[in-house]
Amino acid sequence: MIGYYISLAMRSLRGTPILSALMIAAIAVGVGASMTVLTVNYMTSKNPLEHKDSVLYAVQLDSWDPNESYNRGGRGNQIPWQLTYQDATALLRSEIPARQVAMHRFGFTVTTDDSQVRPFVANARVTTRDFFGLFDVPFKHGGTWEKSADETPTLSVVLSSATNAKIFGEKNSVGEVIQLNGEPFTVVGVIEDWNPSPKVHDLNNGAFNDSEEIYIPFGLHRKFEIHSWGNNNGWNSGGNEGVTGYEAHLQSESVWIQYWVELDSAAQKRDYEEFITNYIRQQKEQGRFQRPLKFALTQPSEWLVLNEVLDQDSRVLAWCALAFLLVCVVNAVALLLAKFLRKAPEAGVRRALGAGRGSIFTQHLIESGCIGLLGGLAGIVLTLVGLAGIRVLTDDGFDRVAQMDWAMVFAAIALAVFASLLAGLYPAWRISRTNPSVYLKTQ
Amino acid sequence: MLKMQNIRKSYRTDTIETHALRDFSLEVNEGEFVSVTGPSGSGKTTFLNIAGLLETPTGGQYLLDGQEVGNLSDSERSRLRNEKIGFIFQGFNLIPDLNLFDNIDVPLRYRGFNAKERRRRIEKSLEQVGLSARAKHLPAQLSGGQQQRVAIARALAGEPRFLLADEPTGNLDSLMARQVMELLEFINEWGTTIVMVTHDPDLARRAQRNIQIVDGQVSDLRQTIAQPEAAIA
Repeated sequence: MIGYYISLAMRSLRGTPILSALMIAAIAVGVGASMTVLTVNYMTSKNPLEHKDSVLYAVQLDSWDPNESYNRGGRGNQIPWQLTYQDATALLRSEIPARQVAMHRFGFTVTTDDSQVRPFVANARVTTRDFFGLFDVPFKHGGTWEKSADETPTLSVVLSSATNAKIFGEKNSVGEVIQLNGEPFTVVGVIEDWNPSPKVHDLNNGAFNDSEEIYIPFGLHRKFEIHSWGNNNGWNSGGNEGVTGYEAHLQSESVWIQYWVELDSAAQKRDYEEFITNYIRQQKEQGRFQRPLKFALTQPSEWLVLNEVLDQDSRVLAWCALAFLLVCVVNAVALLLAKFLRKAPEAGVRRALGAGRGSIFTQHLIESGCIGLLGGLAGIVLTLVGLAGIRVLTDDGFDRVAQMDWAMVFAAIALAVFASLLAGLYPAWRISRTNPSVYLKTQ
Repeated sequence: MLKMQNIRKSYRTDTIETHALRDFSLEVNEGEFVSVTGPSGSGKTTFLNIAGLLETPTGGQYLLDGQEVGNLSDSERSRLRNEKIGFIFQGFNLIPDLNLFDNIDVPLRYRGFNAKERRRRIEKSLEQVGLSARAKHLPAQLSGGQQQRVAIARALAGEPRFLLADEPTGNLDSLMARQVMELLEFINEWGTTIVMVTHDPDLARRAQRNIQIVDGQVSDLRQTIAQPEAAIA
């Protein structure tokens, strides 16, 4: 009977094209507006590290000013988001984590011997070697550098797929040399296209920006006097007595190193927490960490929430969009009621010919569902238009966010069908409860 | 076939209670052709609606084929209506945007027949009313008499044992009315029990028995022609 009801629904829609178009438009506009906002919210709240959510942790230590807690515009857990260089290098000495990454954003001028390739400034990530393993970065050619490069200056570089293509074409560039700030770096690896969105590992520098173009070892700081191209917050610029220049920066209380660890078990996590506790106590004895002992190990999913990647405004906007959909549904209820009651005589005839109330109810609910399905398809088109508008009006970083994936396409149709079924419930119930004899006599 | 005892039906508004039927008792035997007459507002249509399970009586007992139907659920009443009762209305009540084939298909769909069986029955019933060539026509493309014949075909397709006709010739000219009446008599000869409400005394006289309803009660039971013995059995 479902097929029969669907054919009746399509016949009915064709029979009243203007009214049907109005209902489809009402659903489509509501779904289009809702799905535009919901798609952006869905994409921004995605966790690309979901598969490792139970083993990855962002590390925070409260090394901040003893006189006032760390404040990031009212957001977060009042612990600095990043670590000082000295704390990062100290934590790197722990052998407890399965993997650990100290890193920050930087930039290099890239030149090559090939005169066809014009020099360019590349976004770089200065990181320890575990970065690629910890964040599941796939390699196209080669691999990461030796562990010693995390502590001693080693001129190795890993290129992004796009950078490799830009400099070497499709060639495997492992073993080739490129100049970074005039120094020769040997290419040890090329990664596949890798652009997690949002960029959980670095939410400070544009959560939806592209990943870096080159990756260089953490042990190069002193050689190149590398500063962060990202956030650099401090409360006490003085290092140890007699220490000046870049070394003072490395020994300062400035926080600029992002730190992540991979802890494979609860026991490992416990051990690591104990290690950090002991480290902070030790530092307190040396006059640092004057605030109450506080640190945090935060999983990627919580890290996204803590950093308010999906901010409050977006949540409010989503509710507004759903409220708008509700308005559209209410309009659809009125239109459906008018349409169904106009067909009450036919329902009366069907009742006389053996249709039960349930059959009449189902028939009309399916007609509502068909309207929803068509409204959903039209809503997807409107959503795509809305997302294109967002891409035009916002920064490049939103290119990947303002996109509809298949999940959201199905969600749009499901939302439309649900909305139309909701809208159709009362009109279908009304038509199924009408007394057929009234219409049989008067038709 | 049909047995009503002390049936009551009243309609209540905030201020007024109207008794459409009161202590209405009637028995119609298998194979009978009964006409029902009476002045407007006497309760003829209410009787027909209750007989056709479209309305429930306020009180009394109604046995259809020996089964008490007063307390049946909506779905049980719908199933009985679909299987045992055929309707013919004064206004034909064809669904305007369905062609003749699809109109006759409606009760068969609710009956749950497969496509092959439905087609067989539709073609047979269209043939019985002489409209096989018009199967793909819309009702609006037919004359009133033809539309009523389609309505009869639709009622017959489910092979009901009980046919309820509410002024079946009321909207037809005398020639068409005679044709429809002859068709009903023909159907009755096949064994289908018919109860027909009419204002037309000539048509009423053509039935085997005439019932007159006045003020919601049976006032007169007249045998118009001798009943065949088979019908009484």
